[in-house]
Amino acid sequence: MFVQQLINGLALGAVYALIALGYTMVYGILHLINFAHGEVYMLGAYLGIIVMGILTIAGLPVYSLSLAIFFSILISMAFCALYGAAIERFAYRPLRTAAKLAPLISAVGVSIILQNVVMLTQGTEYKNLPPLLPSEGFAVLGANVSPVQAFILSASIVLMLILHFFVARTRLGKAMRATSQDRIMAGLLGININQVISITFLIGSSLAAAAGVMVTLYYGVVHFFMGYLAGIKAFTAAVLGGIGSIPGAMLGGFMLGMIENFGASYISSVYKDAFAFLVLIITLILRPSGLLGEKALDKV
Amino acid sequence: MKRFGVYLSILCAVAVLLTACQSQQQNIIRIGAAGPMTGDQSKMGIDLRNSVELAVAEWNQRGGVLGKKIEMLSGDDQADPKQAVSVANKFINQKAAAVVGHWNSSCSIPTSKYYDDANMVMISPATTNPQFTLQGFKKVFRVCGTDDQQGRIAAAFVLKTLRPKRIAVIHDKTAYGQGLADFFQKALGNGAEVVYYGGIVQRDPDYKAVLTAIKEKRPDVYFFGGIYPEAGRLVRQAKEVGLSIPMITGDGVYDPTFVNIAGKAAEGTYVTFGKDAAGLTTARSFNEKYKKVYGEPGPYSIYAYDAANIILTAIKETGTTDGAKVADYIAKNTFPGAFGDISFDKNGDVTKAPYVVWQVKDGKFIEVK
Repeated sequence: MFVQQLINGLALGAVYALIALGYTMVYGILHLINFAHGEVYMLGAYLGIIVMGILTIAGLPVYSLSLAIFFSILISMAFCALYGAAIERFAYRPLRTAAKLAPLISAVGVSIILQNVVMLTQGTEYKNLPPLLPSEGFAVLGANVSPVQAFILSASIVLMLILHFFVARTRLGKAMRATSQDRIMAGLLGININQVISITFLIGSSLAAAAGVMVTLYYGVVHFFMGYLAGIKAFTAAVLGGIGSIPGAMLGGFMLGMIENFGASYISSVYKDAFAFLVLIITLILRPSGLLGEKALDKV
Repeated sequence: MKRFGVYLSILCAVAVLLTACQSQQQNIIRIGAAGPMTGDQSKMGIDLRNSVELAVAEWNQRGGVLGKKIEMLSGDDQADPKQAVSVANKFINQKAAAVVGHWNSSCSIPTSKYYDDANMVMISPATTNPQFTLQGFKKVFRVCGTDDQQGRIAAAFVLKTLRPKRIAVIHDKTAYGQGLADFFQKALGNGAEVVYYGGIVQRDPDYKAVLTAIKEKRPDVYFFGGIYPEAGRLVRQAKEVGLSIPMITGDGVYDPTFVNIAGKAAEGTYVTFGKDAAGLTTARSFNEKYKKVYGEPGPYSIYAYDAANIILTAIKETGTTDGAKVADYIAKNTFPGAFGDISFDKNGDVTKAPYVVWQVKDGKFIEVK
């Protein structure tokens, strides 16, 4: 049972980690908690199901299921990247010099708008995606790793490696790190701050969209309210790992997924959600900067 | 000043409309239809509303009741007890004569006190928790069976046909789900050992943790007390953690949406529900009428239609909308229903509640003979 729960936890954690990355990257640069991020994840899940439907009409899954999944993730990521950048452009950029609370309220507003737009256009009921991949996978130490779980784990690790390479090795990544250290100084040195911020939102939102499509494949249901809880849990994961830290968000996501699964199986499945928030409270009391976060220094 | 004039004229117009409504109220009898019409159980509430609407339209075509037109009021409780109480207050303020609803046990039980106090007749087409009619309210009825009957039949079937040694029992923590699970467990007696008992969180997408814990206990079958969205995800994820034992569950899962969510994993699931309606001529004529307007009827559409007809018949026969008199008439008489004659016992439950066991085969519910 332990191995099975470990695998369940890792798959769930990979999803949390992908969403948490968006929170942490935006916080690192703007010191803003982007509460609309969970909604971008929800949009990604809906887009995934819509694209999958269109591809099915076009007959693609008959030729190749993996190609259809690949395309639906790619298209959903592209759309949501644009959504994320547009949210930044219209809801956050005009408020960048305003008091700190203003963009936060704007974020909550965007979240409510997106939820309601989806509710009105897509309806309030669950949308279903029948299981596309077989449920019997391969046995690992007595546990069943289903193809979807294997896919989620490998795809999210690939995406995280790409992100890590991008931030650590490319010119744009360097500009991003510089902006997060000191936005004004980076601007004085010739970095196009607006461009860097837009790219941060593009990347964060596309990762959330990938998570959304993966969850749709995994559970087969999407709902206009799904972004709320997932967003809050991913935020918890980001805080656990240390908000602002990219490796921290990955670690926090995986840890949160496992804490939830082990808590639900060994203690009580009724309090599954409570474990996540217990972790948030304990982190905030004992180590407010998170596991891998650095102590925030007051810039003088 | 010009602005003021505009406001004044709007105010006058509103006042005129309000008085118009007031005077119309004398010539209208209102019937409430309450259930979850948004949210993940919305299909059930909408099925219920459609059926009441159909019954009301038929009565109006025949000239209404007591010489008055009948109007249906729609109330969305979102399957949430708090919303349900506000729906009840809305109906009471609008002076509804009676209500068909609510759908969920957790909504019907708290609202029944409000309706009974307001002298309104309440007939639920789907509330199966026994507590609903045991509160001593004289104006509260139901046209479906109860969970203790259902739990007994499910347990008897399991013990006789599947003969398991070890059983796991889970529920969704609602008045309906937990109640049903407890009645099932009680009815098992010493017939089999319950090796796991626990609750799950409604709306949670991931049930793998609890399913893995169940698998560890090596049960032969598992029982679930709850509604179709959760049941669909449970059987789907059970296959993914390698738990391939049949699920037994109650009437809340009897809906095609369950099969849509679960796909092939739904095969073999046992569900207790009322008798097959398609074979009865009375039910067939309802199905045809319903299909013409709303499409395929849901599992509880026919019960809601019967409930609305019983209320309107009783109003017609007693010649009043006084809840106490109408309720008294309903309690003492027999009504023709889609499944045969409907009469009520002293609590307000139907005297005959036929539950049978169904099984999912090739994506359809088939009665187990």
